[in-house]
Amino acid sequence: MSISVPCRTSSAYFCSYHNVPGIVTDKAMGTQLKYVAGALPLKMHVLKKQVISGRSSSSNINALSNILASANGSAVLDGPQKAVKSSETALILIRHGESLWNEKNLFTGCVDVPLSQRGVEEAIEAGRRISNIPIDMIYTSALIRAQMTAMLAMTKHRKKKVPVIAHNEDERSIKWSKIFSDQTSSEVIPVVTSWQLNERMYGELQGLNKKETAKKYGKQKVHEWRRSYDIPPPNGENLAMCAERAVAYFEEEIEPQLLAGKNILIAAHGNSLRSIIMHLDKLTSQEVIDLELATGIPMLYIAKDGKILRRGSPTCPRTVSVYAFSNDLADYRQQLESDEE
Amino acid sequence: MYDRGFSSTYDSGVGVIPNSTFNAHALRINSSKASETSIFHFFRKNKINLNSVTCAKSSSAPDEPKKSPKSSETALILIRHGESLWNQKNLFTGCVDVPLSRRGVDEAIEAGRRISNIPIDMIYTSSLIRAQMTAMLAMTKHRKKKVPIVVHKEDDRSIAWSRIFSEQTSSEVIPVVTAWQLNERMYGELQGLNKKETAEKYGKKKVHEWRRSYDIPPPNGESLAMCAERAVAYFKDQIEPQLLAGKNILIAAHGNSLRSIIMHLDKLTSQEVIDLELSTGIPMLYIAKGGKISRRGSPTCPRTVGVYAYTSNLARYRELLENMEE
Repeated sequence: MSISVPCRTSSAYFCSYHNVPGIVTDKAMGTQLKYVAGALPLKMHVLKKQVISGRSSSSNINALSNILASANGSAVLDGPQKAVKSSETALILIRHGESLWNEKNLFTGCVDVPLSQRGVEEAIEAGRRISNIPIDMIYTSALIRAQMTAMLAMTKHRKKKVPVIAHNEDERSIKWSKIFSDQTSSEVIPVVTSWQLNERMYGELQGLNKKETAKKYGKQKVHEWRRSYDIPPPNGENLAMCAERAVAYFEEEIEPQLLAGKNILIAAHGNSLRSIIMHLDKLTSQEVIDLELATGIPMLYIAKDGKILRRGSPTCPRTVSVYAFSNDLADYRQQLESDEE
Repeated sequence: MYDRGFSSTYDSGVGVIPNSTFNAHALRINSSKASETSIFHFFRKNKINLNSVTCAKSSSAPDEPKKSPKSSETALILIRHGESLWNQKNLFTGCVDVPLSRRGVDEAIEAGRRISNIPIDMIYTSSLIRAQMTAMLAMTKHRKKKVPIVVHKEDDRSIAWSRIFSEQTSSEVIPVVTAWQLNERMYGELQGLNKKETAEKYGKKKVHEWRRSYDIPPPNGESLAMCAERAVAYFKDQIEPQLLAGKNILIAAHGNSLRSIIMHLDKLTSQEVIDLELSTGIPMLYIAKGGKISRRGSPTCPRTVGVYAYTSNLARYRELLENMEE
């Protein structure tokens, strides 16, 4: 059987995922993996151990590169990652970190609250993880916490290119933001802001304290609003509505760029990103409700041959999946998926 | 005389400075003769930054609880954003929306530390992300519970979507208004060009004219006069009324838009404003009181004759000088 393992190709991206204590031992490696107990046999963990155990953090990147390189039959890779193969393009999703209202436990929704100190640090940390992945375009929401996350992350990017926000609200702003040097323009990463990537609009809960709201409306009602697919808070959006506008925007504006060869970073919010992931991974509405995205941890997809495939995963406590980050794991995953079909 | 309302934030801890050490001619911060000026030397030795609103040693000043201003005084804080990614590359930026570099981020946070105890009720920034980020990063250090929230009024949807439904929460919000009128001077056809190359192409003199004259604009760009016109108009129209009505205000903006506002507040001549260099990331403080807005901490001003007070004694000395001049 010809194994076309999606995750086997380039090793360039595996190094950007942080470990979770208890799952993967080394700092530079690892993904946000949470397995359903019993959904995977112990063999999985044994495999993982073989791959990861005993590595010290400093050599881990090289170790993984070696594993992949030997599997691929290509030369051993050095520490700095190779550039993307030209047939593949990267899609990076980053969910912004803590905002000042998260700190105060208030429902935020589309209220334009900035990052807290911790959120700033999370953004910078996220930047470190993606510092070697090429980026040609950036999409963010219209909210400052996502824009700041993108800009702070890019301060850590090693490429010379500079993110510049595209302004086209009116004639004046178009005229005033023109760049008159071709050289400079070629080193610009356009940053497109759009409300369609905003967080889910929380209607009349925006600004309310989470505890108080539970007291006022009852825990069950609030849980429904927060965690159902199609029950919106009063005058707000349900997840389905949020998904509709976010995915429509993605399909219309972002996907074409991606498939045309641009490496893309999307810095947005929990619900808009879940919507996009639902679209990319073809999740059911039940699966997307269970999907929890870690803040500040970049998620990677690779677009290749017209398909966009997951390369590193969000936290997914209740979804049965294997997220591969080594060839052996990838093989195992492939096996599981063929078994399921 | 000067109220002590804000002066506690300036205490240098160095005690009384005898009037005789003042050199009224200049605080030549950047000039090569700086070391000859005794007061500058004194400050420098003690690591006091004349431009800072709060003393660099304020954390070690033991019994100086930062007082809130008397209710008759309101604060106006101006912060110029720090280094951007194009500053790093030595490119003319103007109104191109380039974000802060790592250093610019640090400068913003540092600025925030200095103003962490000054009450703020409203924030105005330009429509460029580097100024907005400067404001937001500075506010992460603010000690008050209030939270800055960007006001969205572009269309019906954004108004509806940004509504807050709790009175309690609304009362703890610092509205952040973004305005293109506070943008950096639009640099026309120089935007994106390398500074060296431009000098080679047009000649150093022409470039110097564009950069440092009051009314010669770069091709298809704004002169400082044009920038001042829209910035000051906005200030008078939107910001001044709030200030005089009792709101403490922070403006995070750019070199030229802030110079324009300072020119308006300090009634500088066009020659003086050309010479005015604003430090990046160092907050400048004005106090509005009795319908007047007066300078309390200064920008770097190598060629302007002035004494910028930040202790009571300095303040008294300044008062003396100003009385002498009138």
